[in-house]
Amino acid sequence: MHESDAEDKWEVQLRKGCLELAILAALWEGRSYGLEILRRLERDSDLIVSEGTVYPLLSRLKALGLVRSEWVTSDAGHPRKYYALTVAGKQRAAEMARTWARFSSSMGALLAPLAKGK
Amino acid sequence: MAGDAEQRIEAYLSRLRERLRGMNQDEVREIVEELRGHIIDKVASAGISGELTAAGVDAALAQLGSPDKLAREYLTDSLLARAEVTRTPFGILKSVFHWASLSVAGFWVLIGSTVGYFFGVVFILVGALKLIHPHTAGLWAFPKGNGDVEWAIRLGFGNVPANGREVLGWWIVPIGWIGGWGLVMLTTYIALWAVRLYRASRKLDRE
Repeated sequence: MHESDAEDKWEVQLRKGCLELAILAALWEGRSYGLEILRRLERDSDLIVSEGTVYPLLSRLKALGLVRSEWVTSDAGHPRKYYALTVAGKQRAAEMARTWARFSSSMGALLAPLAKGK
Repeated sequence: MAGDAEQRIEAYLSRLRERLRGMNQDEVREIVEELRGHIIDKVASAGISGELTAAGVDAALAQLGSPDKLAREYLTDSLLARAEVTRTPFGILKSVFHWASLSVAGFWVLIGSTVGYFFGVVFILVGALKLIHPHTAGLWAFPKGNGDVEWAIRLGFGNVPANGREVLGWWIVPIGWIGGWGLVMLTTYIALWAVRLYRASRKLDRE
C-alpha cells in the first residue's frame, strides 16, 4: 500500500514538473487561449491537467515575462485571453526542451534493460 | 433556465473576486473575465445545443475547483512570480498578508517574516543612527540585581541611560548594516522557500 502511494506521488510530481514546459510547448506554434491550451495538453500529452492549475500557472508565466497576453473577441461573442510566447519565453522553452532531450536520452540508456524486463 | 445558469457563474466569480481582494485590481478583473469566458466555452462545447444550462455550469465549475482553492493558487503563484522578479520586502509582506487570510500556514509565515523584517530594519536603523547619536545609540547591557543582564537595542533618542553599558561601540555601524541586510535577505529567502514548499505540497494533495 505504502509502496504504491509513493509510486503515485512520484508520478504526480513527475507530471507536475513537466507542466510548465508542456504549456510553453503548446504555445510554440502560435498564440492560444486557456481552454485551447488545456485541450491540446489533454490530446497530445500524457499529463493529467487540472483546469484550476493551468490558469494560475499561465498568469505566473506572464508575470515572469515568458508569455504575453491579448484580448480577442471570439465568434461566440465574449472576449478570450490569448497567450503567446515572448522572446524570453521562446528561449526558456528551447532551453528546457534541450535539457529534457539530454535527460531523457541518458535515462533511456540506463532504463533500457529494465524495459526489456531483465 | 439560462438566468439560473448565469446566476451560478456570477456567484462563483464574485466569491473568487472576494478571495482575490488585495491583488492588483486590473489583474483580478482579467482573471474573472478569463474564467467567465472559459466557463461559457466549456458549457457550450459540452451541451448539445450550445445552450447554457445549470447542470452544465455546475459541471464546468466543479472541474475548475472551489473558488477558495483557485484563489489560493493564484495568490501563491503571483507571490512567487512577483518575489522572483522584484524580491522587495514590501512586496513579499503584502502578498504573504493575503496568503495569511486564506490559510494557517500563511499566517505563520506572515508572523515569521514580520518579525524577521522588523529586526532587520531595527539593526539597519541603529547602524545609521549611531552616526547621529554617537553616545546613546547601540547595543546596551543593563546588569540586574540578581546577576542577569538585560540587553537592549537603543536607537539613541533620549538621555544616556544611568546604569547601562554600551557594548559594541562603533562596531554597531558595520554590524548593524551587514547584520540588518543579512536578516532582511534571510527572511526573504525563508518566506519564498515556505511558499514553494506550500505550493508543492498542495499540488500533491489535489490528486
